[in-house]
Amino acid sequence: MEQSVMEKLTILADSAKYDVACTSSGSGRRSRAGGLGSCYAPGCCHAFTADGRCVSLLKVLMTNCCSFDCAYCVNRRSNDLPRATFTPRELADLTIAFYRRNYIEGLFLSSAVLGTADYTTERMIEVLRLLREEYGFHGYIHAKAIPGTSPALIQRLGCLADRLSVNIELPSESSLHLLAPDKGRREILRPMGQIAAAAAASREELTLYRHAPAFAPAGQSTQMIVGATPETDYQILRLTEGLYHKYSLKRVFYSAYIPVAEDSRLPALDTKPPLVREHRLYQADWLLRFYQFRAEEILDQSSPYFSPYLDPKCGWAVRHLELFPVDVNRAPYEMLLRVPGIGVKSAQRIRTARRQGTLGLEELKRMGVVLKRAQYFITCRGFTGASGGRGSARRQQIARALIDPGVFNAGCEQLSLFSAPAVQQLAAQGTPPRLAGRLVQEEAVQCLANTL
Amino acid sequence: MSGQHPLREADLIYCYDGSLAGFFSCVFESFARRELPFAIWPPEEEQPSLCPVQEIPTDPGRAGRVRRGIREKLGPAAAKTAAIGFLSGQPDKELALLRYLHLGFGEGPGALKQLGRPEVAEALGLVRSVEWEAEKYRGFVRFEESGGMLGAVIHPKNHVLPLLRPFFCARLGGEDFLIYDAAHKEVLLHQAGKTRLEQVTAPLSLPEPDAAESEYQQLWKQFYETLAIAGRRNDRCRMTHCPKRFWADLTELRDQV
Ligand code: SF4
Repeated sequence: MEQSVMEKLTILADSAKYDVACTSSGSGRRSRAGGLGSCYAPGCCHAFTADGRCVSLLKVLMTNCCSFDCAYCVNRRSNDLPRATFTPRELADLTIAFYRRNYIEGLFLSSAVLGTADYTTERMIEVLRLLREEYGFHGYIHAKAIPGTSPALIQRLGCLADRLSVNIELPSESSLHLLAPDKGRREILRPMGQIAAAAAASREELTLYRHAPAFAPAGQSTQMIVGATPETDYQILRLTEGLYHKYSLKRVFYSAYIPVAEDSRLPALDTKPPLVREHRLYQADWLLRFYQFRAEEILDQSSPYFSPYLDPKCGWAVRHLELFPVDVNRAPYEMLLRVPGIGVKSAQRIRTARRQGTLGLEELKRMGVVLKRAQYFITCRGFTGASGGRGSARRQQIARALIDPGVFNAGCEQLSLFSAPAVQQLAAQGTPPRLAGRLVQEEAVQCLANTL
Repeated sequence: MSGQHPLREADLIYCYDGSLAGFFSCVFESFARRELPFAIWPPEEEQPSLCPVQEIPTDPGRAGRVRRGIREKLGPAAAKTAAIGFLSGQPDKELALLRYLHLGFGEGPGALKQLGRPEVAEALGLVRSVEWEAEKYRGFVRFEESGGMLGAVIHPKNHVLPLLRPFFCARLGGEDFLIYDAAHKEVLLHQAGKTRLEQVTAPLSLPEPDAAESEYQQLWKQFYETLAIAGRRNDRCRMTHCPKRFWADLTELRDQV
């Protein structure tokens, strides 16, 4: 029997959902008179799921029927699960209907490999063509390039989409070889290189001829799975940094591996997805992109993993206590950015305000600067810094302010997936989750206090 | 306008018609008399009070002078603060903005960059909360289609329609649509390429959805629910990003209120 659109949507949204969170935007496309849609630069969240993630795009697979057999993937050929395939028209209609009602910002189209990479891509192109040419849709479209697709089709896809992405999948060649035998590293990097080159060429043309077709104006992004294979955080971060430089990527996304199959090459089925680790990677990635950090400042060979208890910026600051406290009225902007608790917005506000007069704590508070952590790293008018270092009670107080309260299952009877591995372990051995959280937190505070 | 003379705190309440021009007329009055009123009330706030009340008539000429004065003497950023701050639904917004303007004209535009000054922090706080809410509504407005017209109802704390106007006109330029702000009885109407923003006297309501509309709403709800990852449920996080007060107008959450 023919599946209904409702059934297809359910299956194909479900298959796509483990793909990273919020990936809208990046390009400001002006709407044209009479057409439908504009592309809104800062990215817009239209809804929030029960787990608190932003829903911005209609994110679905074109099909989940796959001729590949990647071990880490639910859609792999050898897995037994309900399959579905949208016709291009169905998907284009659904996108328009959702967009007009302001449910979504656009379409995020990915697909399993239906027959061959080229055939799959042709069908994806047809969806995009319908949207752009037939329905005059100017909203945001993010399309995934399927590894192995021929260059001509990638070119066509890039002229219709705002953003293209090629998933790097796993952080190293050997892992890829082991777990995704149908895909080679070259198959992934070749389209990445092609997209980077085509986008650069198109930007150049656009400066010459205003009406030249734009190739993926919102750039490209990629995604990798974390925790299915043995790479360290440091390796992953170095890879990320390299990708930003070499392929001018706009974003790198990480997704914590959720076990989908019993397979000796993969972590056991009862392994918890490493969500804290994923979270730390995003924080570090943020430091690379907006805080002028380099990967080896955040981690290095000798300490290649993130602390589950400290965010990476705090981690850097405690390792460089000799640089603090800094005077907010004088410190260079780059240094303000490195103060734990001061984000880009706060740093900018400080920079503007201090030109007009020196700042004290009261002013900082009124400007919305959060001092919980920052107070130990700054001085300002009338304040010589709450920097401690003397007396163990004082050190403990500082440590308590610095550690990330989010990973200790605070006040929860149920074990949260966002709790640190040590909390999960204690809980697995029978300690009540709330107590487990408190025990690990105390230990983390002591441990950090000793290093201050 | 200048503030050579010190401001006097007056035991006086200004009443105005609630419009921006009306507010600027109050500003004019306050500068002319070098006084800071005890409160400034729009019509809906009038209530018995111990202070004497002074009606400030809306004077387009004076309002225009204030508007130009702000732009020319204090700069476009301050003009924006005044205009957007005025959209706030906070009861004492007028007085907060008046203090901000007195500071600017009294000490010069540089003073308005002292983000730690109470007058500045308060005015910028108004702007931030208006912009925060408008940004939320850019995502949270939900249209229903009926007879070719898209309609949506919202209940914002601030007057967000002026900020939503350019966004939705760009996005749905070729469509006919309306957004009804039921909290302030204002409607943004875009029809046949023309846009109007006006007060309504009687409350509006949208027609019952027809079969096709219901079907799309079902599809959206289904999509929304499919996206949630069961083991990661995190209500607190959802609530920070999407506070409960928005839920009644959201297709996907309406029936959980
Ligand atoms: S090609 Fe993609 S969809 Fe197919 S099994 Fe591999 S990862 Fe899954």
